[in-house]
Amino acid sequence: MPPTSPDATLAVEMTYEQLPDEWKEWLDLTPIERFRESEKIFAQYLAMGGSLDPDPDPTSPFYDPPTSGSGAAYGRPGLRVLWRSAV
Amino acid sequence: MGGQACVFYGAAQFSKDVDFALLAGAENYARLHSALLALEAICIAVPRFDPAVLERGHAVHFRCQAPGVQGLRVDVMTRLRDLAPFLELWARRTTLTDDSGDSYDLLSVPDLVLAKKTQRDKDWPVITALVDGHYHSLGGQPTPPRIDFWLREARTPELLTVLAARFPAETQALLNSRPLLAHAIRGDLDAMRPLLDAEVRAEQAKDRAYWEPLRRELEAFRREEREAP
Repeated sequence: MPPTSPDATLAVEMTYEQLPDEWKEWLDLTPIERFRESEKIFAQYLAMGGSLDPDPDPTSPFYDPPTSGSGAAYGRPGLRVLWRSAV
Repeated sequence: MGGQACVFYGAAQFSKDVDFALLAGAENYARLHSALLALEAICIAVPRFDPAVLERGHAVHFRCQAPGVQGLRVDVMTRLRDLAPFLELWARRTTLTDDSGDSYDLLSVPDLVLAKKTQRDKDWPVITALVDGHYHSLGGQPTPPRIDFWLREARTPELLTVLAARFPAETQALLNSRPLLAHAIRGDLDAMRPLLDAEVRAEQAKDRAYWEPLRRELEAFRREEREAP
């Protein structure tokens, strides 16, 4: 199974032969198989508390700072940042 | 269209919402209304649903509340920048069916690539993946339209170099419309990188210019919402 993340996108700047095996497996599925797998990933994402709110994206024409949250910590509303480095 | 189509085409693994391109028309709006009722979808942001607003290029955003789809966002558009009218898009769509007989109508990959040429940074790696995936799937069956699409839209120096070597006459014929192909012919990957970046900046600037009046209109809609009694 490929790595999961919201709106995860195929790694680029490499040829098919150079892709990690999990991405090759993803590309080798049929479109319908990919859709079914995506449904499972979506269910896992929701089960982990993933948010369906759009990610704040200042480069989007739909971005509205007053109504766009800062985004959950590491994509999960159940997580909050206790400590982080100064960077 | 959008992220779900990218999943089908292998360029993404999942999307948090569903985007629909719709044929504008009273009968279709009635069908959309029925579907939204079944999904218990409510409009969650400006603009409110209005055919005239859709016609100007806005998207209308809904959130579903029906069991099984609770929280799912649905976006609807009838017009996309630089894309053909809906009936042309429909004529060249991709239709997939599954074992249960359900069918899925998707923007064609070339149209999806055009739709993804936005000011949003996150859309550009998706374009790269769409073209790479298309070439991976159909590179063994080149046709003139496919070769033209790959040469016009490929976004990695590596793939462009492969294409230029494989299709030299077609590459030569496109030099005027995509000058960076000259570097692909020579296999000069480093020379292509800044030019590919420049293509992105130019398209992003076009998209920002297209959206500027719509963005101002959205701000006006938001003000009206806030000031409504």
